[in-house]
This record gives sequence, C-alpha cells and structure tokens, in this order.
Amino acid sequence: MFYIAPSLATALDALGDYGPEGAAFAGGTWIMRAPIRHQLLKARYVAIGKIPELTEIRIGADTIEIGAAVTHAALASALADLPEFTVLAAAAGRSANPAIRGLATIGGNLATSDFSAADCVPALLCLDAQTEVSSRSGRERMRLDTFLKQRSTLAPGRLLTKVVVPRSRAKSAHARLPLRKAGDYPVAIVSLSLDVDTTNHVRAARIAIGSVETVARRWERLETALLGRALDPAQAADIAADLAGEFAGRDSVEVPPWYRVSVLPGLIRRATAAALGT
Amino acid sequence: MVLTLTVNGDHRASVADPVTPLVDVLREEFHLTGAKPVCREGFCGACMVLVNDKPTPSCLMPVALAQGSDIRTVEGLGSGGTLTAIQAALEACDAVQCGMCFPGMVVTLTHLLATSPEATRDEIRAALSGNICRCTGYERIVDATLSALAVK
Repeated sequence: MFYIAPSLATALDALGDYGPEGAAFAGGTWIMRAPIRHQLLKARYVAIGKIPELTEIRIGADTIEIGAAVTHAALASALADLPEFTVLAAAAGRSANPAIRGLATIGGNLATSDFSAADCVPALLCLDAQTEVSSRSGRERMRLDTFLKQRSTLAPGRLLTKVVVPRSRAKSAHARLPLRKAGDYPVAIVSLSLDVDTTNHVRAARIAIGSVETVARRWERLETALLGRALDPAQAADIAADLAGEFAGRDSVEVPPWYRVSVLPGLIRRATAAALGT
Repeated sequence: MVLTLTVNGDHRASVADPVTPLVDVLREEFHLTGAKPVCREGFCGACMVLVNDKPTPSCLMPVALAQGSDIRTVEGLGSGGTLTAIQAALEACDAVQCGMCFPGMVVTLTHLLATSPEATRDEIRAALSGNICRCTGYERIVDATLSALAVK
C-alpha cells in the first residue's frame, strides 16, 4: 500500500489508521535502501512529499519555518541570501550529492533515528531549532534535542511537520569531513553559531557535533570554555583537543571510533575561522 | 493496480508494486537498460534519469511517485538519430567510457547544459559528484562538457 497524501489532514488520517504498520514516506532516500540494510519495508506508506503545507519555507521577521518535506536543495536555495543561516545553508547544500539533495527532505534528516551522519541535525541544534509534531489530535512544539530523544518511540500517527528556527545576528558555520571531497557521509561534523562583540569576544556560543556519536548533540563544555574569550581558531582547536575526550566515537566500517574524535579539533578550527570570515 | 507513466514521451503502464524502484520498472518492464542499478543507494549515479528535467537516482524513486511526471532516460535524450550537444561533445572529445557509469553521466550533464550555461570546471565537477567512475576518470568528460558549453 502506497498512499500519496494530497493534504496534511489526509496524511495524518492515514497514518493514524495504519498504526504501527504504516510510516511516512518523504524523500525516500533512506527507506528505499532498506533492502541493502537487510531491513523489511513497512506494509503501508503515506507519501507526504506533495503536501503543499509541508513543502513551504516561510521566512519571517523573527523565525523561519521549514516544512518537513522541504528538500535539502530547496532549503539551501531559500537560505542563500541569509548570512545568519550560513550553517544551515551549507549543511543542506553540501550533503550527499546534487541528485540526493533534490530528493532528501529536512524532516527525513531529522526523523531517521538510525542515520547518524545527518548534516542538518547538528546545524539545527546550533541554531536552537524547535520541531512541530502533528497528529489527528493536534500539534505539539518541542525543542529539537527533545525530539531527537523521542523520535524512535513516537506513537504511530505522529508526524514531524515543521522545523522552526529563530533568527539572530550570530555568525554561523558548518565544517564536515567526508572521506572523499564530496558525495559521501561525513566522518564528523561541527556546526556552530557564535555571538561575538565588536572585538570578536564570544558572548554566546552554540556548538553541535554530528556523526561522531550515534546521535548529534551540543558540545556544552566547549561552548562554556569559549565564553568571554577573543575568538581565535587555533586556540579554539587547542581547547577542543583538551575536551574531546568526552566523546566516544561510534564504530563503523568506514573509520574506527577514535578517528572521528581525533578530527574534531581541526573541524573546530575550520568552523571558527569560517564564522570569523578568515 | 495499474500505474501509468510517461517515459521518453510514451505513455506506459506498469503493474509493479508501487514501492518498486523506478529503475527496475524501466529495465525489467520497459527494457530501457541504459539506467543501471549498481549501488542502489543513490551514491553512484549509474541509474540517473531525468524526472521533470531533474536528475534523479531512479533506484531511490518508488515507481508510484513517478506517476504524472515526465521521465526521460538516456535512450530518450537524442531524437531521430541525432545526438544532443553533450552527446556529440563527449564523442568528439573521445570521452565515452564503459557503459556502466556513462549513461548516468550523460543524464546529469544534459541537465547541467540546460541549466548552467556558464558552468566552470569546478561547477561541472560538483555536478558530477553523484556520478562515480570506477575505471577511467573524469577529466576528459569535464573537458568535453566545457567544449559543449563553449559551443552553446
């Protein structure tokens, strides 16, 4: 069964009716590879990629709202002229390859709990994003880190429908290390958003690390360590090297766990330099 | 359930399961074997087709979602025995490689020529980042693309 929902209401009805046998189908770039992972497909899918409400990006004065079925390519294009979202534009615009970016959605990137190398997750964590989860009974807003904890146990019929990102004057940057120059998964990702004063002293910092551990998360000790300091990429990398021991890299066929952790200081240096525009 | 598709301008019917990858329907039902199911992960680009003029890895598109779209495979790019600009340039520059990755490269570059007439060498390389060659290389393909762009 493959139901192409024309509206959010019909999608939520179908997901509610199908229960645990059903799932949402957005870009399909993860679900269609289930056979390669030796996983069974669901018995029923609800395609949500043609729902107008879920494919909209609204850029407001205080927030931007991104529909869950917005593709990476569409998001990168929409953010191209908004320097405050450099981190998100880079995450959406450099992940995978061009054809995948035309299919893969922001909602799929956030909702796929087995995908540790999702670029948009750390990018949105450092932007302090919120998520909206909908069901037939209503809509619920929750912080992204809360959603990440709950996503694998969301009750059937609940669907990630929107991402809401506050606007700010912070400087942001995204640094990733794929094994090839482009086109594959990053070994590690650093996304950061820094509020600095006129002398480049850090007033506030949000730094998120992706792909190193199973789930992306904020690096709060590094954020705290940078507060009040003049932002210097080399020094930031040294501090990161001292603190990196708190990460336990995930194992995989591509690289050993220690390698993912060992590249973090270099990525911190690159990301801070990019945020400074140096 | 019968699915109706428009492939290379022809209206076709398929009785495949709706979640079947488009590449399998193209090859097994319609015998359009230019698109190759190689990695089935969207990484290699050998199955690339144009869906509404957009390069799309047909291994990742369920056939049900391709309904109502204009699908063009490598077989449908030229018409009446005439090569397209990129096909002619690839031949003239002796850039044609083995048949595994090459149809996908032609599809991707067809889109590039249509949408990025000022593309630089780096932009061509970026456009090809989802088309993997395992045997020969990319440089002559990039050179051929630049020559096709120069002609336009």
